[in-house]
Amino acid sequence: MSPAAAQITPLPEQSGPGAPRPPLELSDVSVMIGGQGGDGTLTVSDLLGRYFRKKGLYVYTSRNVLSRIRGGHADASVRASRDPLAAVKSHVDVLVAFDNEAVEMGKTELAPHGFILYDSTTFHIAEPHSAGFPFATLVGGPLGQPIFKNTAAYGALSVLFGFDPALTRAVIEERFKRRGGEALEKNLKALEIGRKVALSAPGVENRFSLTSGDAHDMILTTGNQAVALGFVVGGGRFFAGYPITPATEVMEYLQQYLPAFGGVVRQAEDELAAINMVIGASYAGARVMTSTSGPGLSLMTEGIGHASTAEIPVVIADCQRVGPSTGQPTRHEQSDLSHLANLGHGEYPRFILAPADPVDCFDLTVEALNLAERWRLPVILLLDQALCQNTTTSARFDLSKVRIDRGKRLSPEVTAKLAHYKVYEHSSDGRSAYAPPGTPGVWSEVTGNEHDEWGHVSVNPANRIKMMTKRMEKMVHARSELPSCRLFGPPDAKVGIIGFGSTSGPILEAQGLLQHRGVPTRYLQARTVYPVPVHEIDPFLNSVDVVYVVEHNYTGQLARLLRETMPWHHAKLRSVVKYDGFTFRAPEIVSAMKEGA
Amino acid sequence: MVQSAKPVPPIWCPGCGDFGVLAAVKKAAAELRIPTHELVLVGGIGCSGSIHNFLEINGIHALHGRLLAQAVGVKLANPSLTVVAAGGDGDGYAIGMGHFMHAFKKNASILYIVMNNETYGLTKGQASPTSQIGFEGNVEPPFHSILTALSIPAPNFIARTFSGDPKTMIAILSEALRFNREGRGFAFVEDLSPCVTYNDTYKLWREKVLDVSTLEGYDPTDRKAMFRLCLETTESGRIPIGVMHRPKVSGRNGLEVKLVGEGPGPVRTDIELAPNLPAYQKLLSGLA
Repeated sequence: MSPAAAQITPLPEQSGPGAPRPPLELSDVSVMIGGQGGDGTLTVSDLLGRYFRKKGLYVYTSRNVLSRIRGGHADASVRASRDPLAAVKSHVDVLVAFDNEAVEMGKTELAPHGFILYDSTTFHIAEPHSAGFPFATLVGGPLGQPIFKNTAAYGALSVLFGFDPALTRAVIEERFKRRGGEALEKNLKALEIGRKVALSAPGVENRFSLTSGDAHDMILTTGNQAVALGFVVGGGRFFAGYPITPATEVMEYLQQYLPAFGGVVRQAEDELAAINMVIGASYAGARVMTSTSGPGLSLMTEGIGHASTAEIPVVIADCQRVGPSTGQPTRHEQSDLSHLANLGHGEYPRFILAPADPVDCFDLTVEALNLAERWRLPVILLLDQALCQNTTTSARFDLSKVRIDRGKRLSPEVTAKLAHYKVYEHSSDGRSAYAPPGTPGVWSEVTGNEHDEWGHVSVNPANRIKMMTKRMEKMVHARSELPSCRLFGPPDAKVGIIGFGSTSGPILEAQGLLQHRGVPTRYLQARTVYPVPVHEIDPFLNSVDVVYVVEHNYTGQLARLLRETMPWHHAKLRSVVKYDGFTFRAPEIVSAMKEGA
Repeated sequence: MVQSAKPVPPIWCPGCGDFGVLAAVKKAAAELRIPTHELVLVGGIGCSGSIHNFLEINGIHALHGRLLAQAVGVKLANPSLTVVAAGGDGDGYAIGMGHFMHAFKKNASILYIVMNNETYGLTKGQASPTSQIGFEGNVEPPFHSILTALSIPAPNFIARTFSGDPKTMIAILSEALRFNREGRGFAFVEDLSPCVTYNDTYKLWREKVLDVSTLEGYDPTDRKAMFRLCLETTESGRIPIGVMHRPKVSGRNGLEVKLVGEGPGPVRTDIELAPNLPAYQKLLSGLA
């Protein structure tokens, strides 16, 4: 559990909501909704998120589900704030519990001022600052089914937070309008039942109040959706994948989006087929991508090496989860980095890009497609579970920045004027021109065997050296084109932080906490992690006295990669790691840095 | 004329059954007047998989066992191409078995030729999935590709040829390619292609092959009848060859037809930003 547990002050020995009190005003609120899978915890989280967004707040939602369809403990969390955020709050302000397990699991994270709202149909708790209402029974009678208990709980929450009743209702209308008359009607009734019972209890109404924000004309999205949209807009027209948590939504979104643009999405029989189908489609001339997570990545490793050697552009989105083996499919980790940096047998070039938020996911997916075709090699989008699946209030995606660069692609007109066409022709930067099959007068022979410029298998040692150099030096020649890192915090700060992916959210928040304590920090968000951007990270490391590399794995994989690439900075690098399956909360980073100081 | 990769001399042993397939592919493609730049040959790993090196043609030397996945990718990306996958029995029935089974189900209009020599020739004669019991210590019964193919209820073209009978092979490969080019779906042709070095079966197979079309009750549109004929022929110690399944339905059933329809397909669709901008704006404006 979270170290935040230690910060909880002892609670007074009384139970129930207690006497009415003036509302506690919050500008940053966290609500956790827990129960059994199927209790509708995600719906409550969704409804709250919608309300908060209507109030102009930044919203971040996360979920903690088990890898099963129904049952088992599941919880969802919503955080809303006046300021931009992309992390789970250090503690929970309000816990909504549909069973006792949810109380037991959630109360350790409860803030001293925290409140528990629970469904008392089947259990009762003796916690202070709590209120139990038999939501399932209350809705079960008039509505015929207890399943509307979640909407009733939303109603009670609206009383607890002093929500605007009309806006509260508008959220239900918006959420259920597509489901039709009866569903909407019953949910509206459930809402009123929840509101009524909460209003009747002392000490519940207006317990908290929430400030409004100015986050308007923003969208609430996930990294997976952003990657799918970036793929469409970046000209991606062929996708093959295999269902795997937490990557599946990329395929599902594309099944929805791509056919309208003449694209094809195929669910393959396994990840071996998925990567090879995209290799085939790319050879044919399409812009391609596949998405997967650890176990699928292990299978795709074979194909990625082939693509790099045969110089066939592919983009692979790796939605990291807890590994190794099946690991924890629904939980968060960033432990594929070392594998990806050293991917496969033999040696071959690849680029690894690490977006940190949905806008970054969108932009870097477009960029990955361009880089893959410009350099004719695999580009990996290094994502993580929190980035892929948690929803974040995000700026709208910017189409004006999008450009399509297909590299040295030969048109039939240009091809016709050539004296010869060599698919692996040597050039000063390792890039060869490509004419896809169907181009009149020429053909392309590609192979994963070592080959000569024509694509014929070759064991000639001089040719081997030339071809290895051609491929490997792409990582040097491409350096200036790879996405640059981002820097946050005062340039003269002497304490540095390095991170990648969704860890950026809690790191930025930790920077705020540290600044508040008088410790200015400078954060480098690595957006290209391989090849290591030495030209960016070396000067950064020179500018600070100490650097904390914050990442979600056991061995400190990014820190190791940096030490390996820049051994002269060895002494400056400190690892801050977490590998329990949950994302960092800002105070955890702060205390780990304090310990490491 | 732009100079592209020139064919290299085959690496095969003199007398290898694969020469028959090479010649038949050339003849069938010429017969159908398929322009070489529109023909893609995806080779597997093994002696037979190097076939694309010996032709003036677009060629992919795929990973071991993965040729079908790559071939399907090529076809779905650009349905106007004629796509042939060709490899050996180890490539297709051992490491590639998962993709083999799914190829029938997917039913993309590609031709898959398996040159079956009942051994791993390139690695010097180990037992393969089709090896007879006793061959190189093999204790597992041989895999029967035709019975397996017939057991998958999909409108595929299924046939078996013998390198010792080039005339029939050319006719069958031509029919298979026509079947593909009409967008009717997946065509599977297993060629019995003896390995003269490690498993020289020419004489044995010449004695044992039996053209199923000569048998009473032969009807390649009747899956059940063909399964029985093939099974009975095999159980009688003979090797059934000929067209084993020719679907009744004549429609365009290929996967690429279902996914791409009459559209240009992923490769020929304009992906530049400008023509797509209004549609992209609409897509993004749907986000809330």
